[in-house]
Amino acid sequence: MLCGIDVGGTHTDAVLIGPDGVVACAKLPTNHDDLLASIREALASIAAVAGPAAVTRLTLSTTLTTNAIIEGTADPVGVLVSGGPGIDPAAYAMGAYYHVLAGAIDHRGRQTGALDLDAARAVINAWEAAGVRAFAAVTKFSTRCPDQELALEALLAGRCDCVSLGHAFSGRLGFGRRIATACLNSAVWRVYNRFCDAVERSAAELGMAGASINVLKADGGTMPLSVSRTLPVQSILSGPAASVMGIIAVCDIAEDSIILDIGGTTTDIAVFAAGAPLIENEGIAIAGRPTLVRALRTRSIGVGGDSAITVSREAIQVGPRRLGPPMALGGPVPTLVDALNIQNVIAVGDPRASYQGILAVATANGFEPEEVAEAAILNAVNQIRSEVAAFVREINDRPVYTIFELLEGRQVRPTRVYVMGGPALALSALLQDAFTQEVVVPESFAVANAIGAALARPTFSVELFADTASGRLTIPSLGITRQVADNYSQAAAEGEAATSLRHYLASIGAEAEDAPIETVELSSFPMVEGQTLVGHNIRVACQVRPGVSAAYKQAVSKSC
Amino acid sequence: MLKARHPLAIVFFPAYDWAISPTHPERQERLLYTQDQLREEGVFDIAGITELKPELATATDVLRAHFCFPDVAAVTTTSHLISAGGAIRAARTVLDKEAKRAFALVRPPGHHAMKVVHGARGFCNINIEAVMLEWLRDQYGPLRAAIVDTDCHHGDGTQDIYWNDPDTLFISLHQDGRTLYPGTGFPLELGGPKALGTTVNVPLPPGTSDEGFLFAMREVVMPLIEDFKPDIIINSAGQDNHFSDPITDMAFSAQGYARLTEMLGADIAVLEGGYSIQGALPYVNLGLVLSMAGLDYSHVREPDFDAAKVRQSAKVTGYIEDVCRDILKEARHPRGPGKGDVVAGWFTRRKTLYYDTDAITEYQTEAVRLCDHCRGVVKYETESTRTPLCLGVEAPIGACEKCVEEAYRIYEAGQIKGEYRHLQLIDRVGKNYATYTG
Ligand SMILES: [Zn+2]
Ligand SMILES: [Zn+2]
Ligand SMILES: [Zn+2]
Repeated sequence: MLCGIDVGGTHTDAVLIGPDGVVACAKLPTNHDDLLASIREALASIAAVAGPAAVTRLTLSTTLTTNAIIEGTADPVGVLVSGGPGIDPAAYAMGAYYHVLAGAIDHRGRQTGALDLDAARAVINAWEAAGVRAFAAVTKFSTRCPDQELALEALLAGRCDCVSLGHAFSGRLGFGRRIATACLNSAVWRVYNRFCDAVERSAAELGMAGASINVLKADGGTMPLSVSRTLPVQSILSGPAASVMGIIAVCDIAEDSIILDIGGTTTDIAVFAAGAPLIENEGIAIAGRPTLVRALRTRSIGVGGDSAITVSREAIQVGPRRLGPPMALGGPVPTLVDALNIQNVIAVGDPRASYQGILAVATANGFEPEEVAEAAILNAVNQIRSEVAAFVREINDRPVYTIFELLEGRQVRPTRVYVMGGPALALSALLQDAFTQEVVVPESFAVANAIGAALARPTFSVELFADTASGRLTIPSLGITRQVADNYSQAAAEGEAATSLRHYLASIGAEAEDAPIETVELSSFPMVEGQTLVGHNIRVACQVRPGVSAAYKQAVSKSC
Repeated sequence: MLKARHPLAIVFFPAYDWAISPTHPERQERLLYTQDQLREEGVFDIAGITELKPELATATDVLRAHFCFPDVAAVTTTSHLISAGGAIRAARTVLDKEAKRAFALVRPPGHHAMKVVHGARGFCNINIEAVMLEWLRDQYGPLRAAIVDTDCHHGDGTQDIYWNDPDTLFISLHQDGRTLYPGTGFPLELGGPKALGTTVNVPLPPGTSDEGFLFAMREVVMPLIEDFKPDIIINSAGQDNHFSDPITDMAFSAQGYARLTEMLGADIAVLEGGYSIQGALPYVNLGLVLSMAGLDYSHVREPDFDAAKVRQSAKVTGYIEDVCRDILKEARHPRGPGKGDVVAGWFTRRKTLYYDTDAITEYQTEAVRLCDHCRGVVKYETESTRTPLCLGVEAPIGACEKCVEEAYRIYEAGQIKGEYRHLQLIDRVGKNYATYTG
């Protein structure tokens, strides 16, 4: 049976799913200072119902790495970069140990400036003396030629706890993103690996030694705990992915749809194309820094049940701030929940407190309290509607680079809106008025996010880059660099990318039938010098899209 | 993190599925390395820089700027409409104040496309800057515009389109026409009788490097722009002056282009030529983007750049100084229209034009009515080795009642006479664009 645990900011949810449905579930408060304790407790309560041996696969979604980065408790990292011509790499500096070395690689992967290894040695000596144990080495265009990063890795061998190399995370371009990704990976390395040790120990102590342990990523896919030890940054910001994967598991989403998760402080919006969640083009940002970590494409607005209502003679507005719980629950200012309360849409806490609160702001501005409540609810719904419209417009207006795509490119046209979260049911009728699409409120499922974690499949992506004029091929995220013949074709490249991806997945224990591989980018440019064809520049990207285990989906599906 | 001082919109459209022919300079690969460089540099992650998708220009958008014979469909492909539409998208973003500046990084280029179009010249079918500017004027009302063409080739198409327009200052910097296609763009080409001094040509000798270009910018281009006081500055941002360009002989660098861009301060830049696709374009385009956005570009340089190796000779410097002095004087005090005859109140020019890309020869007579009240109606009688005699008539923006009447009279008389195969009318006053096939 499959076990999923989602350690959220407030609650830790756990679920155990067998071939016939949910066997056990638990909802516990999260111990923010000891996430492991929360996981142990959740596991213990599952084991108490089904017995520890029942768990064959355990998937965790935790905020450990996210918290360490956002709260600044991660380790200092010695960051060595070489940039060559372009934007001054000082713009991408991270932390106190950041050094730019001479060295350059161009867009075709040619070394156009030698790496200054002497300078690198001196910097490493100084940082080592200062107690730096975690390192990152990143060069511009290292996805086209990783040699300079590998040379820095060799210098660091045996002198530190970890070295993150930029090209290991993705074959996508983005020097600044690559620096941030590698640096953050090393920063959370130690704390993450200690956590992994403890999780494995706890599972063994609880008698779950036979279970494979996996970690949820922000793209809604999983990776084995053993793999995540070298790529801990891939575990950041997995929370929203757990919820989205939960709704995929519970509902049968086949068409273009919108998912709204209306929470206390925000409404999270996700978009599905033909039943599959959309993935961020480049990567997710954390602590203000864009990275190469793949993530579901979501957007968040400050409209939730606890969002404060501001009233003036001109406008009545919900959010974006949260100043405390609703007045019905003893909060300081009226919120959306209070407005819903006095319109009798819901009954939360003390409705009289809601009424008094709204009455005060209404009278001060010459309104009736019901007027304010109605306008506030309408404002919340309208904000959600216009944000969804803007999001879909942005998706459909994404840049394309061929005439074919410009004329024939697929447009996302949502036909359904799925609404989840506390105020979902309360707002559904109003949302139905606001949206032309059918609004669906799935039967409430308190631990849908844990179900999402439990059933999520592994995901991975590879980018292959072949330049037959210079005879070089790289698949950066798999560490592959090899010579390539001048008759290497686009078809061969597509085959090699898919095969490499399949082999990698097999090596980490992912089941092939569970993980269909699709090609998302395929191009081959004739390279001409003078009047002569000198080779082909071939680019392929293959991925395993996020999804849920087909074998178990049936067990948890509900009619939505 | 970086933040653009001038919010910049970039319309990037490399047309990865379009080429003139497999080994032609205008081929799929042209902007591939530029895109790689911009993405690797994280240009689109910079706060204040946004990437936009082009729209498709319509046939009407083309007919507002051009006489197309036999018709628009015959002389354009979708790629041309996207390229022009990309320029339009860029311009709209600036005029709607969604960005301070915009760069249409699109292909194919357009600055060799003239008022009358029978096919492709110098890789260009339609003039994307002109289609864009006339769209702007149609949408936002009359605008005084300066177009500065920094492509290595003379912007003969743009010059031809704005020859009689006193509200458009066209300045072209280019390699001397005696040494390069299209062989025009000399200092005494200064505009038609009603627009004298609003066409300015600065031919530069082969081997001109950063010093020479920046000298011409400082001593000629900027003072003339200051005199003209445009509402909008457009840069036809060709990049074939680069020292590594395979089809030209100049010695300009990425740093030089970035400094020129900063000096000019264009509201809208539109990519024109530039065929050193690996050694120049990635760096020149990066320099342009950073410069337009008001960001530091001091680290942008070509990997093999050696300023001393490409620096212009003292002789070139002296020559440029002399030429620039003369040009400024001529442009400020033009000595009267050049080649042409006055026939019954019309100023008439005869042109023979060669369309190198499509191997067409055109024989054309352009006549502008010398009106005391407006710029005057303009008519074109044209035939080519591909299309028999055609007629184009335009009542320009601000045309007087008499000139508008005259335009219709000529257009209708032409239909009755039956000697023209195709006729086209541009009425910018009534916004009427008509075509007729006899
Ligand atoms: Zn020019
Ligand atoms: Zn050119
Ligand atoms: Zn007139």
